[in-house]
Amino acid sequence: MHISENSRVVVQGITGNQGKFHTQLMQEYGTNIVAGVTPKKGGQEVLGVPVFNTVQEAVKERGADTSIIFVPARFTSGAVLESLNAGINMTCCITEGVPVLDMLRLVELAHSKGLHLIGPNTPGMLIPDKIKLGIMPSDMCHFGTVATIAKSGTLSYEIAKALGNADVGVSAYIGIGGDPIRGTTLVEAFDYYAKDNGTNIIVLIGEIGGDEEEKVAAYIEAQNVNKPVIAYIAGKSAPEGKRMGHAGAIISGNVGTAQGKIDALSAVGANIAETPWDIPDMVKQHL
Amino acid sequence: MFTIRLLEYEAKEVFAEFDLPLVNRLVITRGENVEDKLTQFNFPAIVKSQIAIGSRKKAGLIKIVQTREEGISLCKDYFTRKVGTYEVEAILIESLAEIKHEYYCSIALDTSGRQFVLIASAEGGIDIEEVAATRPEAIIKENISLTEGLKEETARSVAERLGFTGDLVDSASDLFLKLWKITTAKEAQLVEINPLVLTPSGLFAVDGKMILDDNAVFRQTTIQELQKKKLTDLEKTALQFGFSFVELDGQVGILANGAGLTMALLDVLAQHGLAGMNFLDVGGGADRDRVYEALKLIFTMKPKAVLINIYGGITRCDVVADAILHTLNEFPDAPPMVIRLTGTKETEGVKILNDAGIDAYKDMMAAVEKLKGVIG
Repeated sequence: MHISENSRVVVQGITGNQGKFHTQLMQEYGTNIVAGVTPKKGGQEVLGVPVFNTVQEAVKERGADTSIIFVPARFTSGAVLESLNAGINMTCCITEGVPVLDMLRLVELAHSKGLHLIGPNTPGMLIPDKIKLGIMPSDMCHFGTVATIAKSGTLSYEIAKALGNADVGVSAYIGIGGDPIRGTTLVEAFDYYAKDNGTNIIVLIGEIGGDEEEKVAAYIEAQNVNKPVIAYIAGKSAPEGKRMGHAGAIISGNVGTAQGKIDALSAVGANIAETPWDIPDMVKQHL
Repeated sequence: MFTIRLLEYEAKEVFAEFDLPLVNRLVITRGENVEDKLTQFNFPAIVKSQIAIGSRKKAGLIKIVQTREEGISLCKDYFTRKVGTYEVEAILIESLAEIKHEYYCSIALDTSGRQFVLIASAEGGIDIEEVAATRPEAIIKENISLTEGLKEETARSVAERLGFTGDLVDSASDLFLKLWKITTAKEAQLVEINPLVLTPSGLFAVDGKMILDDNAVFRQTTIQELQKKKLTDLEKTALQFGFSFVELDGQVGILANGAGLTMALLDVLAQHGLAGMNFLDVGGGADRDRVYEALKLIFTMKPKAVLINIYGGITRCDVVADAILHTLNEFPDAPPMVIRLTGTKETEGVKILNDAGIDAYKDMMAAVEKLKGVIG
């Protein structure tokens, strides 16, 4: 989604432990990391990558157009803001725990500038064999025509790996992240791959809570999506949790149960997987 | 992380801070002398247990009493009550409101719509969800732009659509504007009044609820205080180390990473007739201390066996394996463990365990099969 093997990536927080470790893994995957940013540490070099004080310098000096963020939670809003203000086309925020009010403002800003934001609390994105912009394991899957879109990080690794093991190729792997307000919603990610010429089948990995899966179901119906959709919803055995007052149910007309999501998606023709390991065979039936 | 829900009496403290109309009230917290506290209060009154469950009225945890003596004995009784793991934290005693009509109003975060919404209905009371489901036209919703805030004309228009006239339009719209102030000042995801009661002397917020943004805790000091006091000891440990943790009814202790994978794991166990004793998502990038503390916490629950399921992305399998060995050294009598490790640094992690004579599975289903054998 808005990235390719030609993306020029800047790593915000490259001098931290996680930033450095995953910069190396992304480099090994073949991602073109052109710059790092850590305030007050400009002038250094990390893993052969020049470090700058600001994203703006990384854009000016190295032509960065894509960012991935590893800075600690309380600095994350500022890091995203800096990336958007520097005109970075796709900002991928790995760090979790950005306050809701900050995220709402950042989403408004990204929209007003026509820029893209994914996360926070996302594993990132992978176009197999081309670019890894994230922290997901590198060996999950190879290139193909099945897009995998997930709310949850590790569960989607499980499923991407199962696809890879079954020799099913993946056009893109997207984790939208687990924080309450997300730069890219499940519907927006779904919309992108419903229209993507390189994608023939969509695997949707949802979980209890919220109403995004129901909104995807409504989208499938409204847009007449005819690509096959295979969906898995986690949390069927979860006890009914404490609910978000009455307001959650009033906004969305449901309480985000697994069964509600499964019903909504199967009503519009999506195929529902019982377990994550049923997905590869179900996908193969449509290849 | 934890969602921070304020109980009615805590929400009302916030309401009072923002001058929302409240009836006379008195809070007795656990350990305080009930007789002393009640000497100044006028009866009849309504006695409301402060406990984190829904439908308190149905559970008999809210009652009207006619006399002080009745009030004292009911309060003492309420402090002995327990629902599941929840205790009555405090008791709120309030003067009775003369109810002419009950309304509903709230400001709530619509997460998928990425905006706040003002919600109101002239059919308030406990059955508001039923109203929303069967007669959605009876619910008024107005989206609020974060940059513009709730506008006075929007607040007035909602008040008018609820059927208010004259001065009541002013007081209702003033109340909606205050709800918005509370939402932004306290970084709430929900501020709810249900019912908002019309009495001969005007509007009163008779029941209230708030849900706060746990991601904003670091800059909301009042939340930090509240949060600490609400948790069980296990939950406090979990919070300290940043685990998502929920106690469940089963026999298998669970340590996993990622909320979705942990839920999927519990679903798979349920399909195999096994049940988790807990949900514990150790979080991304767990280090040795966090894994150690998570296992220690699980051991205190005395599970029949422990299932560790790690799919490393930002979490490194070698770090987890090392932490497991360290924990087993400290706890030689630990319950049997079934370990599944895959993802980042998987080869290194599995080798660390194998070298110590411990099996590790790369496949989750193999681990579940093994677990079935262990549990018997």
